[in-house]
Amino acid sequence: MTKPRVAIFDFACCEGCQLQIVNLEEEILDLIGTVDVVEWREAMSEQSHDYDIAIIEGSITRLEDEKRIEIIRSRAKILIALGACATIGGVNKLKNNFSITDVKSCVYGKHADMPHLDTYYTKAIDEIVPVDFKVHGCPINGREFAAIVRALLLGKKPFVPDYPVCVECKALENVCRWEYNEPCLGPIIRAGCEAKCPSAGYRCFGCRGYVDHPNVDAAREVIDKYGLSLDDLRTRMVLFGSKQGPTL
Amino acid sequence: MSVSKLNKQQFGQFVDAILAAGRKVVGVVAKNDRFVFNTLKSAKDLRLDYDVTILSPRKYVLPQVEPLLTFEVGGDAKSVKQNEPMILLGIHPYDLIAINQMDELFSEGEYDTHYMDRRKNITLVACDVAKASKNVFASSMETAVADKGYDILITDIGDAYLLDAATEKGQALMAYAKGAAAATAEDLKKRNAIQEANKTGLNKHKLNCKPSYLPKLMETAYNHPVWEEKARLCYSCGSCNQVCPTCYCFDVQDRVNWDLKTGTRVRCWDGCLLENFATVAGNHNFRKDRSARFRHRLYRKAKYVPEKIGGQIACVGCGRCVTACTADIANPVTVYNRLMEERTIG
Ligand code: SF4
Ligand code: SF4
Ligand code: SF4
Ligand code: SF4
Ligand code: SF4
Repeated sequence: MTKPRVAIFDFACCEGCQLQIVNLEEEILDLIGTVDVVEWREAMSEQSHDYDIAIIEGSITRLEDEKRIEIIRSRAKILIALGACATIGGVNKLKNNFSITDVKSCVYGKHADMPHLDTYYTKAIDEIVPVDFKVHGCPINGREFAAIVRALLLGKKPFVPDYPVCVECKALENVCRWEYNEPCLGPIIRAGCEAKCPSAGYRCFGCRGYVDHPNVDAAREVIDKYGLSLDDLRTRMVLFGSKQGPTL
Repeated sequence: MSVSKLNKQQFGQFVDAILAAGRKVVGVVAKNDRFVFNTLKSAKDLRLDYDVTILSPRKYVLPQVEPLLTFEVGGDAKSVKQNEPMILLGIHPYDLIAINQMDELFSEGEYDTHYMDRRKNITLVACDVAKASKNVFASSMETAVADKGYDILITDIGDAYLLDAATEKGQALMAYAKGAAAATAEDLKKRNAIQEANKTGLNKHKLNCKPSYLPKLMETAYNHPVWEEKARLCYSCGSCNQVCPTCYCFDVQDRVNWDLKTGTRVRCWDGCLLENFATVAGNHNFRKDRSARFRHRLYRKAKYVPEKIGGQIACVGCGRCVTACTADIANPVTVYNRLMEERTIG
């Protein structure tokens, strides 16, 4: 069997998710052994146009990036979105809450009109081209990424949880943040991170995106029972929930 | 069999002697301001004065993730057993009853050797409840005390513990108890008073019928509006399943190694409230509505499981789901009482 050729590309992001792959210490050699990495800016200098699997990190924020992702899509048999920036737009989508002229002059000051700084509203990858698989999280969970790759190599559908963070959180016997009157987004956010934040004593702020059918109406009513306001919840959702999916 | 008495110091020595002999003991310990079952390292960590644990001891009887076999694609499969002997120390009567129910469920019909082999190696040391938790309603469910199903039952009578060894396993463990005296009639009277008090005192939510009436009640409740009304707020987060001592549904998954040939088949906890719990081949979900899933859980506790195990109700009133449900809709008593009031509807 010839090894599948894999290329990794990055768009607007912090490259933290690629770092999670590099950090897969015990497994990185196994991974490299089963695939043929032909392009990966973070780890090698070669470039290639011939690949089976394209792994995309980052979100689309410029017109020229739209063209670039379309070309990558046309060359790849399988396209994987890696990390929140790619799967849901991630933190980058915060800017969609403001006018683009304001954002640009705030960030770039007097250079705002330079052509190479010609950014627009942030889009997740699947707002431009079809995505075959999503590896959620900011950053991704390396072990989950490895399991998804193994499933793909076997031609199987990878297991990605469609249930909320609470499932993993309860399994770890955390005391629910809501019991301390802290609005946690866990009940509407996709699991798979092993409830990282609640396990460390923080609320979930939603980096893995919504479950398939989040009960946002419940969130609206439940907040009253805790003597909190809808705005308390809204401010928690803005970091990863801006301008995507159901909102409050 | 006779009941022994150990003063508090002797009891600590008893537990430490068991640990010193290299036996694995899982007991109740503090986790921040709550309690959990965890591997016990020393008698001084044991908290028999606890109110309730976050998860029930089910996690040792039916582990959250349990390897069943290792396989090689196109080759052999080898059965894997996880059945290390252990002593579960400090189980409240309602949780004990839940384990006894599970024993029946895993041995009736198709005998589950993975479960039963493990279970046979577990010694159940129960203890009477010393402090009511904020949502317990075991008195309503008639599960506040247990007169069978344990190897040893411990009761804190103030200055001493009474230990009632009911089985050979329990008696064998008593060999580590140095300086035990026989309980006097006076001691037994104290124990009786504690148990009688628990029979009515562990009741933060009062069920307005005898639990034995529940299967009958459910016969006419299938189309009642309460399912829709409650489930409107349900997140499908499965927390009510996870924390429940009587939930035993699992999902089977294959985990493949990097050689892409060998792997492990595991079973992991599942929950009937989760959106895709009832999804079968072809992506067909036969319990697609939140209300149908919400109803299913309360029917299981009050009707479906009782039908399999001689009428025993599969809610033991631990109250954990009441605490765990962020939306505050999971309380079985609220639903059953509502159905009692409106028996003619639905
Ligand atoms: S998802 Fe988070 S960690 Fe990954 S690239 Fe984007 S910002 Fe960085
Ligand atoms: S802390 Fe958050 S994730 Fe954990 S159970 Fe509570 S709501 Fe769910
Ligand atoms: S708990 Fe929430 S915010 Fe934290 S890693 Fe998991 S999904 Fe992301
Ligand atoms: S249904 Fe709720 S109260 Fe009843 S046994 Fe389960 S967790 Fe405890
Ligand atoms: S804990 Fe509450 S919200 Fe979560 S699935 Fe159960 S009933 Fe629904």
